[in-house]
Amino acid sequence: MFTCEDVYDVVVIGGGHAGCEAALIAAKTGSKTLLLTQSLDTIAQMSCNPSIGGIAKGQIVREIDALGGAMGKVTDASALHYHMLNTGKGPAVHSPRVQCDKKVYQFTFKHLLELQPNLDIMQDEAVRLAVDDNKITGVLTLRDTFYRAKTVILTTGTFLAGTIHIGTVNYPGGRYNDMPSNLLAKNLKEIGLHTLRFKTGTPMRINARQMDVSKFRLQPSDNPLQAISHFTDEKEQSKRQFLQCYITRTNLETDKILRANAHRSAMYSGNIHGMGPRYCPSVEDKIKKFPEITSHPLFLEPEGFNTEEYYIQGFSTSMPEDVQRALLKTVPGLENTPITRAGYAVEYDFSDPKDLYATLESKLIPGLFCAGQINGTTGYEEAGGQGLIAGINASMKVQGKEPLVLRRDEAYIGVLIDDLVNKGVNEPYRMFTSRAEYRILLRNDNADLRLMPYAFKYGTIEEKYRRPFERYQQEVDKQLQHPGTAVDDTDLYPWTPQKVLNHADVHQKYAGYYERNKKDAEKLAQADSIKIPAGFDPSTVKGLLFESSQKLQEVRPLTLGQASRIPGVTPADIQLLAVHIERYRRLNRESNA
Amino acid sequence: MQTTICAPVTGEGKTAVSIIRLSGPQALEFARQITGPGVEFTPRKQVFCALKDGPNVLDRALVTYFQAPHSFTGEDIVEFAVHGSSYIRGRLLEILCRLGAVPARRGEFSYRAFLNGKMDLVEAQGLCDLISADNKEAHAIAMSSLDGRLSSRLEGVKQSLTHLLAQIEVRLDDVDEEMTPLSEQEISSPLTQAISALQKLADTFSVGKFIKEGLKVAIVGAPNAGKSSLLNALVGFDRAIVSAASGTTRDTIEETLDVNGRKIILTDTAGIREHALDPAEQEGMKRSIKALKGADAVIMVMDASREPTLQERSLWQDVLAENKRTILAFNKQDAVLQNIQWHPGEGKYSVVHLSCKTGDGVEELKKALTQDLTSGAAEDGVMLSNLRQYEAVLRAQTELEMAQRRLENQAGGEIYAEHIRAALLSLKDLIGEVTPDDVLDVIFSKFCMGK
Repeated sequence: MFTCEDVYDVVVIGGGHAGCEAALIAAKTGSKTLLLTQSLDTIAQMSCNPSIGGIAKGQIVREIDALGGAMGKVTDASALHYHMLNTGKGPAVHSPRVQCDKKVYQFTFKHLLELQPNLDIMQDEAVRLAVDDNKITGVLTLRDTFYRAKTVILTTGTFLAGTIHIGTVNYPGGRYNDMPSNLLAKNLKEIGLHTLRFKTGTPMRINARQMDVSKFRLQPSDNPLQAISHFTDEKEQSKRQFLQCYITRTNLETDKILRANAHRSAMYSGNIHGMGPRYCPSVEDKIKKFPEITSHPLFLEPEGFNTEEYYIQGFSTSMPEDVQRALLKTVPGLENTPITRAGYAVEYDFSDPKDLYATLESKLIPGLFCAGQINGTTGYEEAGGQGLIAGINASMKVQGKEPLVLRRDEAYIGVLIDDLVNKGVNEPYRMFTSRAEYRILLRNDNADLRLMPYAFKYGTIEEKYRRPFERYQQEVDKQLQHPGTAVDDTDLYPWTPQKVLNHADVHQKYAGYYERNKKDAEKLAQADSIKIPAGFDPSTVKGLLFESSQKLQEVRPLTLGQASRIPGVTPADIQLLAVHIERYRRLNRESNA
Repeated sequence: MQTTICAPVTGEGKTAVSIIRLSGPQALEFARQITGPGVEFTPRKQVFCALKDGPNVLDRALVTYFQAPHSFTGEDIVEFAVHGSSYIRGRLLEILCRLGAVPARRGEFSYRAFLNGKMDLVEAQGLCDLISADNKEAHAIAMSSLDGRLSSRLEGVKQSLTHLLAQIEVRLDDVDEEMTPLSEQEISSPLTQAISALQKLADTFSVGKFIKEGLKVAIVGAPNAGKSSLLNALVGFDRAIVSAASGTTRDTIEETLDVNGRKIILTDTAGIREHALDPAEQEGMKRSIKALKGADAVIMVMDASREPTLQERSLWQDVLAENKRTILAFNKQDAVLQNIQWHPGEGKYSVVHLSCKTGDGVEELKKALTQDLTSGAAEDGVMLSNLRQYEAVLRAQTELEMAQRRLENQAGGEIYAEHIRAALLSLKDLIGEVTPDDVLDVIFSKFCMGK
């Protein structure tokens, strides 16, 4: 065994969307960071669809961007099609979605990581976590190298004991042909993580050479476009070339083939035990559950500028390859397009997120953080958001500083993590706007106003943006106080007068609801500001309902607010806790005095 | 921001005076709405003023304002010292809740006092006992409401609102516009149904309270009109005296009867019984008016064999002005020789003709007395009997009405959803929580969503 001479503050295991954000932000916040990945050629790979954003997810990307993460910038750099979703509905549900060139995305991100000071990237596979005295001490790799580490962030995606299913065929795999991390999966069980199984799937990819575009409905890129990053120059971005997407539909013929072969789907073969995301049903699932719907939409999305490969959104399947080919022949416009990669389902280990604090640090092993699919979520954006928070908090822990826990009224990322750690998951967790009780506050258009102050505090956004951001805040305030006054654009760029006016407009539309949400949110913030002292043991509180007491011990909330969001805990329980915490505080103050 | 909470701080029993405390940032604002403009509140000074119930006067009360932080809880407090009637007490709390106050949980005033540094650690122990008792009680109430008739009554409301929410949410998520938009009718009709169901339930509240605490009935009228015979008729024919206890006030006696299964408390019967000892008509009238003030319902007895006196007519006007459940009973029907010319005038009251001597019409009177009580209750007898439930239903109803108003100007799905969610949240203790996952469950089971 070779022990690396460096001692890392943060070691990130996994180079997917969570891992990349985590590594980048940890290094940015001044921690000596190492990113370990099985393959540098698949770093930041978009394993499933070629798009970033979408309903509720687009808001998350904006939040990542506002906090100093990279997903938004990389998306704009690799964009091949822009679409702002839901523009016919209220601004609270407008969500940006951007189709990307997968290769450009991946290598842009890789390049960013390479340029980042404080960050080392190493192609090797983590096989074992060293835990000494119930504290993380380092990571051992497949090549028998030992990296000493103060904290470790696990971002293993679908690779932990991954199994690929195509029809009745199944084999070990983390993604299509990539090897799973079986040794690490075994080790995590040994060190006490509670791992469970989830499943997800992806559709086939095709060669579009002989695609009959005349049979499709066209989905052009937005013009004018709205960049997904706050820092992208939209004028410059608009000068670029974009591609088109298409929509076609399944029909009765497709139906017939799916029905005739239902028993051959991996889904119904009895081989898959993990629960899959209901939002991403396989096409065989759709037919089974909704027999009355005989035509489902399919979205054709280019995988890149320099390829003929297309992704068929809506055609996720784990049918055998011969059935996949037959299915394709039934779809108008795709009759003659060959499959380049078959669709498949993948089953993998995840770790119960209830074992985490809201900082994403494990309650079981201090110094160990988890982010992304290992926490039972699905989606690049959900992963990226968690990666960012885990990265910041690992870094803060090493530096002995306060962690960042976003509240439910501050960010979708806050809603996401709060849900995960308090309620746990029983299917892969996807974000929906309906999960956010403060949906009116958590919008795509105000992510910067909500979160950028944190980024400046942590130094994750370049200092040169501070002045423009403060100017933007000023102009927004001015516009809200005195609607219709001219916007002064001095030092405003990359923000624009148009953005100021848009924001004021939206604010006006939601005026009454803003107040309402804010009022509730203030209450929440107040409860969340009451920290449950580290030495305080809820089980000593008499009078709590039995179930509440049990749940409090299980979740171990960090604040009174978090305690109040644990299902089953009553307002009176919270009052009792509040009294005891206050008592604890006064007693400690007295004994210290 | 803290909520503003209210609760009686004196006991539920028979007291001459009840004190209702209102504590929180909006205490003064709510108090002003009840007293109307023109009442000056000076900290720690009592003011005597009328408490308004719509256009009517609920009671005249001593009101004291304590300014934060110089109060029991450390917050703004307004205390209302009202007459010790369960009706006035209940109605005042009802009005406060309508204004936006929330019923205080047991120990909540002390809880706030403690957190605001108004209480030491020793006192806190008692506070914990209070809260934990409340916790168990509320839990028990919630559990019993959850599998009781009330919750099954509300099950329909829950189902239809959850379904409506799912219908709205699924369209907010349907970025490819695969679904036909909801028509205004599709949104408004479940809203209207839910509002009317909640309204019906809310209407049972004051009724439910009377059933639990009993309806205080004052029998008033001229000494010779037949009050005591009426009392005897009610007590005698029923043979159903539950208890007879002397009040603490020197000249008040209450008779508790079970009339048609309802608890009726006849008040100031002392005045009726002892009228022989106190023959001055003037004095009898005074008593009547006093009894009137403290009652939830009034039976005005008139001698049907003669024209009413001036005093009786003026008493009748006073009775009407009280705006309570009122029955005008014409006694001595057996002796009626001629129709009297007097007209009782406009107002909300029922008229009963009876003879205490023969017993004719007494049943009718009893029916009039108790019928009033059940008319508000739902067919299945489900009613709201505690203020917390009432406040929850009221809040839910208000939210849905707001959704409906916003629907008129087509505010958009995310706005309707906001109100529907708030309504379901208010009803949480009665119907159980409807989580975002519950809504997603409906969406995924009913719609082919996702890609």
